[in-house]
Amino acid sequence: MEEHVLICEDSIDGILTGIYEAYQYKKDNGIDSHDWMHLAVKEPDIGRLLTCYTKIETNAEKAQKVSRTIKRELGEHTFYDLCLAMVSADAEKADAVYHTVVIGLKYHDRNVFARLGEPAVQKAFACQRGAGNELNHYRQFLRFAELESGILYAKIGARDRILPFLMPHFADRLPADNFVIYDELSGVFGLHPQYKQWYLVNGADFDEDSLVFSKAEAEYSALFTQFCESIAIEARTNPKLQMNMLPLRFRKYMVEFERRANEETLH
Amino acid sequence: MQSENIRADSLPIMESAIDNTLPAVEAVSCERNTCGGIETFVKDTQSTMEKLTILSDAAKYDVACTSSGVDRKGNGKDMGNCLAAGICHSFSADGRCISLLKILLSNECIYDCKYCLNRRSNDVPRATFTPDEVCELTMNFYRRNYIEGLFLSSGIVNNPNYTMELIYATLYKLRNEYRFRGYVHVKGIPGADAMLIQKVGYLADRMSVNLELPTAEGLSRLAPNKHRKNILTPMRQIQNGITQGKQEVAIYRSAPAFVPAGQSTQMIIGATPESDYQVMAVAQGLYDNFQLKRVFYSAYVGVNNDKELPAPSTATPLLREHRLYQADWLLRFYHFRVEELLDEKRPNFNVLLDPKCDWALKHLEQFPVEINRADYHTLLRVPGIGVKSAQRICGARKSGALSFDNLKKLGVVLKRALYFITCNGKMMYRTKLEEDYITRNLLSLHEKLPFDKDGMTYRQLTLFDDSENNVALFG
Repeated sequence: MEEHVLICEDSIDGILTGIYEAYQYKKDNGIDSHDWMHLAVKEPDIGRLLTCYTKIETNAEKAQKVSRTIKRELGEHTFYDLCLAMVSADAEKADAVYHTVVIGLKYHDRNVFARLGEPAVQKAFACQRGAGNELNHYRQFLRFAELESGILYAKIGARDRILPFLMPHFADRLPADNFVIYDELSGVFGLHPQYKQWYLVNGADFDEDSLVFSKAEAEYSALFTQFCESIAIEARTNPKLQMNMLPLRFRKYMVEFERRANEETLH
Repeated sequence: MQSENIRADSLPIMESAIDNTLPAVEAVSCERNTCGGIETFVKDTQSTMEKLTILSDAAKYDVACTSSGVDRKGNGKDMGNCLAAGICHSFSADGRCISLLKILLSNECIYDCKYCLNRRSNDVPRATFTPDEVCELTMNFYRRNYIEGLFLSSGIVNNPNYTMELIYATLYKLRNEYRFRGYVHVKGIPGADAMLIQKVGYLADRMSVNLELPTAEGLSRLAPNKHRKNILTPMRQIQNGITQGKQEVAIYRSAPAFVPAGQSTQMIIGATPESDYQVMAVAQGLYDNFQLKRVFYSAYVGVNNDKELPAPSTATPLLREHRLYQADWLLRFYHFRVEELLDEKRPNFNVLLDPKCDWALKHLEQFPVEINRADYHTLLRVPGIGVKSAQRICGARKSGALSFDNLKKLGVVLKRALYFITCNGKMMYRTKLEEDYITRNLLSLHEKLPFDKDGMTYRQLTLFDDSENNVALFG
């Protein structure tokens, strides 16, 4: 039998629209099971035989309908986990999320993520866990630097697009600060004005070299670098363990490793 | 050399409030001590950088750097919140996490504990922070997401009460003037007044009183100024305070929380000759009787030459520390009791196998366990199954029987678990349920240890080594 693949945009709204369209498509074409339907976020390099590909447009209203249904039937918590899975860098996330929703709705199971015997749930769970770990890493390793104007600026390079999940954490923590988080891999800015709601800005023009940091910034980053050095116990030096806990890819965004990185490039 | 202004009659509060200028560029104002207390000789030219270097270096042997145990949302005005899971912000070269700004308020100390770098008889550079300096550092580090909060300890300046007052003054300022809502871990100073401990407890999230050494003999030998009673009294007081605080919060929702993240303690391992059984029995006693959140074990690092101590060249007992932590987890999350793991006849952990594998091999009559039917507590006791995978198994098997393939995806370490489990009545491979056979196979897996070498203390014997072990060896 022929398989059907819907190709949607790689975003939360895109995938939610995809789920709406998949249900519609199944009904319209009289397909008897969701097993014949798949969702993808990009077109395959080589199309498969006996497979019909359809591109779909993101539609905020349809996405809204699907998110409302998921929240009502599967609960806010499951919806949050599904959203995390949807921002994962994994290419198969859309299909996994779609089939997890199908399973959840079929059994009316608000705890659908516990059904790890199901391959689709397993995949969605893996995506959710990966993105959740990335989110936790940036809660830990993000570093703000103070600009001359008093605004805090941080740059990250998140593997999964977790910026929308990261912003509430810092908005709750630093309500009185104006801060910007820039994800250089997705080109999205998260902005938080003092005492106001945070928001995201996509693809703004930005020249990083034009940033001027405050005087205090150099002092405090030097103090912290020194602190990180003097808090280590020489007799227990263990770079491997340090690397396990704090992988190298984060270090280029972290002020306490900057000096060492510069020294290494000089040699 | 001038002495710093410290008045014994009142809390030392800096008159010159620091505006937005950096403490680094500001010299601390100094006057002579007028009240006949012990003079603290600190150069007035010490910059914040110098102080931070000295006082973080002095605090590094304290193990606890956790920021867990309390959930506190931001209030929309002031800086800071807390997450129950805790957040580590960096990892130092020794692989330990940096979660809190871990510093001593002062490394001046009137005590002479043998193992301590800051003991009175050591000639080390001394420094003392002012409360404002601590607050400025905490606020500015926190704002940049360098840290999750403050860990404040101190050497004993003048006397325990005076030191506790200094700590209280600092915390009071941090919470009420700087309006800091992040995490604060503070040391209870043994021998300080109960009233002071109480007041500090309402400002801190976690308090800890260090047990220092597992037994009272060890303590009296290595820390002649500290007494077991003085350590246990504040520990009991904090425990009672927490219990009472919980009842108050249950009645009045806005009652101030007393040490909401609970209390912890730490013991030095390897400086005195206690066995693992003694150490774990003490830890279990603390969990049972004092309701501690954590007991930390600190492998002894030789910093002082002293006839009572192992020689400074002695290797740090990292593997022993690791085994103790593994056993500690078994006590706290896996419902084990110390008596099951060790006894008088076998007082030390197996260096080659982790305590759980070791236990399982001694209790093969309880295995194999059927994954699809065994209850949660039985699953927890299977080597290769952790708390998370046990929970996932219990959740997942509701909707259908699990296979070995599923187990792998759930995070079960099959290479260890396969000797102890069946799935739908079948074992994964044909294996023997025999102690020697399984031990051999488990040993060939090469356990992943968090340090490079095997952490055992190999060293060349020397005739000039006066450490206790050698005395015991050669009579």
